[in-house]
Amino acid sequence: MGGEDCSCLSVRGATFAWHSDSAPRFAQRSGYSVALFSAILCLFVAASAFAQAEFAKANENFAQGHFKEAIAGYEALVHESQWNANLFYNLGNAYFRTRDFGRAILNYERALALDNHHPEATANLQIARDEARALELQPSKLERYLQFASINQYTIAAAVAFWLGLFGIVAVIFARRRSPALISLSILCLLVGGMAIWAVHTLDNGSEGRGLAIVTGNDVQARLATADTANSVLALPPGSEIKILSTRGDWMYAALPNDLRGWIQTKNAEQVRL
Amino acid sequence: MQRRILLALIAIVGIAQIALADSPSVTAVLSNSEATVGETVDLQIKVTGPGDARPPEEISIDGLEIHSTGTSRQFEIHNFSTSSSVTYNYTILPLRAGRFMIPPQTVTAGGKILRTPELALNVADVPGQQTKTRPGRSSQGAQSQSANTGDLVFAELVVPKKTAYVGEIVPVQIRMGFDARVHPRLTEPPDITGQGFTSQKLQQSSQNLETINGRPFEVVTFKTAIAAARAGKFEIGPVKAKAQVVVPRRRNAPRSRSPFDLFDLDDPFSDPFFSNPFAQFGERRDIQISSEPVALEVKPLPPNAPPSFSGAIGSFTMATDAKPKSVQVGDPITVTTAISGRGNFDRVNAPLLEDDRGWHKYPPSSKFKQDDEVGISGTKTFEMVVSPNENKQTLPVLAFSYFDPAKGQYVTLHSEPTAITVQGGAPAPAVAAQQPASSPATAARGHASVANSTKPQDILYQLTEPSRTVASFEPLYARRGFLLAQSLPLAALLVFAGWKVRRARLDDREARRIGALQHEAADLMHKLRRDDVSPREYYAEASRVVQLKAALASRNRTVDPNAVDAETAAETFKLDSDSRDRLRRLFEQNDEWQYSGTHNGPGEISPEKRRDVLELIEHLK
Repeated sequence: MGGEDCSCLSVRGATFAWHSDSAPRFAQRSGYSVALFSAILCLFVAASAFAQAEFAKANENFAQGHFKEAIAGYEALVHESQWNANLFYNLGNAYFRTRDFGRAILNYERALALDNHHPEATANLQIARDEARALELQPSKLERYLQFASINQYTIAAAVAFWLGLFGIVAVIFARRRSPALISLSILCLLVGGMAIWAVHTLDNGSEGRGLAIVTGNDVQARLATADTANSVLALPPGSEIKILSTRGDWMYAALPNDLRGWIQTKNAEQVRL
Repeated sequence: MQRRILLALIAIVGIAQIALADSPSVTAVLSNSEATVGETVDLQIKVTGPGDARPPEEISIDGLEIHSTGTSRQFEIHNFSTSSSVTYNYTILPLRAGRFMIPPQTVTAGGKILRTPELALNVADVPGQQTKTRPGRSSQGAQSQSANTGDLVFAELVVPKKTAYVGEIVPVQIRMGFDARVHPRLTEPPDITGQGFTSQKLQQSSQNLETINGRPFEVVTFKTAIAAARAGKFEIGPVKAKAQVVVPRRRNAPRSRSPFDLFDLDDPFSDPFFSNPFAQFGERRDIQISSEPVALEVKPLPPNAPPSFSGAIGSFTMATDAKPKSVQVGDPITVTTAISGRGNFDRVNAPLLEDDRGWHKYPPSSKFKQDDEVGISGTKTFEMVVSPNENKQTLPVLAFSYFDPAKGQYVTLHSEPTAITVQGGAPAPAVAAQQPASSPATAARGHASVANSTKPQDILYQLTEPSRTVASFEPLYARRGFLLAQSLPLAALLVFAGWKVRRARLDDREARRIGALQHEAADLMHKLRRDDVSPREYYAEASRVVQLKAALASRNRTVDPNAVDAETAAETFKLDSDSRDRLRRLFEQNDEWQYSGTHNGPGEISPEKRRDVLELIEHLK
């Protein structure tokens, strides 16, 4: 009996010993995690501080009239993916000062793509367009109506409506008594979700969607075929909007202002969305 | 019969007239007694009278080249008198200036020897430059060839003017003549050699048979145009070409005279080959043909060309049209301009808009329709698309400038103002804006145009702070976070559905239990209505029905019917005291029958008792 107790105790002791062994390991692991988290946080903070310093330095260069240096500073931040609307807006201003209206317009467009309600970018974009005589793609009437909300807002609306509709349908399926109001509400939610998805698709493929690009080269001609000797379709001043439809080698086929289509060399235009 | 007699009389009279005709006579005339060197004059020797006539054997005069060009005969009947004559035709080519006397020529006719009168020909020298090379002994055009071929071909370069301006189109004609008997074949087309000018593609315009110096020549005419590239004095040409011709084979032995070689001119065609091609074969020989060069003085264009001058030189007119004439702001208008005339159309560019403020213009397209073989006259049509950025009443005036070489000055053509109607947009500013106009698409989009302001706008200030968060161009639906977030409502939906399923299953089990209880109660009620049931069974079944009804009626459906007693049932159905007592008695009698095995009362249940129990049970609701 005593042996059993002892064994039992020993078993219990072993069990206890195991617990007492794993506790420091757990603590050690937790320590590593905290250290890793702290390191990441520190890196993030340091990167943010560095980006702010770079931004401030580029602003200083701009203020001193060193526009090329300012552009280099802003572009470095862009390459580091420190994207924000104000960065692109300031970069657009710097290009404007060097009279590179094509890239100025491109960066104002990027600022507005990140922040649809950026008043300074909107104002300067208009000035740059007028300076460059840039051509704009004309959105369809439907697209203009849909532009009262952004793609992201439509996406959220679509998600909420979709899930509500789905919950409603499940409730209707399992309900003992099927309520017409619940059925109607569920169908309405699904319809709203479907319309929101369609709006996302329309805007994403529209004149200001993912295919939107800005002509950055000078004396750019859209041509009928992928050759410099092909007939010209339209002369595109810098800053003109085009919508890329497809690419073939060094050429891209694009929808042009005034409902035209033509081939443009890829080096002469840049996409707004990075 | 009478007709035969008449014909016989006519024949007799005719024969008599011939027999009584005058003796033969001869005359000689020159088509012109005055000529210049190189200008041909015709000589006719006419022999009138009966009998055969023999022409002069040869006419040879130093300084004149005389060739026979043929013989013609005339036979006339006039008032029953007949006459016949033979005319020998010659062509005289003066080779030098001077007074030449053509001596009397001896002609034999009707067995008589006749002599022509002496004729005088005054030949004057030719002033100016000689641009032509004609066949003959003094021919320069094909001197590099044998003496034989020199007489067979010639080339001429015809340049209508001696002075021109830089870039002015000068039409040029090249005439190449081949003796018709040499069966020529051009192996290399003519080429205008020289520097300092450009020439257009050579076009063959005609091929004619001409008689030159009494000899038939096939003359091929080519047309082209040249334009001088710089000022100065140039030599155009010579024109060079290569051809193959058929000439008689050379023979060492002196050949016999041919009917062509009347004047012993060493004419290669005096070879019998040409009188009888089958007598012997000729040989095909390559020859080079060249013309004399032509001098051309090229003057520079005067300075101060108008802004719309693009290098067009010539004489032009301009016509303009526009469609449509009623548009909205930003809509395209196609302006068609036709420039017609004569000149260097390759330098004719689209006319310029004199005032393009408030307009957006697109690159023009052009097409040219030529009216001649070399493309120096025709109509060049330009189509230019313009779109108004603001309200306009007229199209902008188009200006086209060219240099008129005839006048020696620049000429600017202006289009007539074309009235149009533009709807929408802001009215055109009275003061010219310094800012360029915005694009039509901008105007169509409805933005306020900065171009209308009189002062150029500057961009807004730099922003000193970057945005708080790093943004992404990726749309929300494509972001990983958004997709992961969808797992939350999905999980909630799954939980909700699971809960609903479980509820449904529970409800189903309860329903089945209730159904079973109801079924059992109905069966028991059916048994209670029968008379053959023993009292023990009757009370047991009656009590069971009460328990089942109580269990079904209870709010909590999970009540076990076996646990229901008389008090519980009475409470469930809220019975009054009388019914409560009757129910209690029912349960007591059941207990008695179940546990005692006997009954205090009779062995059977009276119908009143049965009715009372059934009434009690049926009123339990």
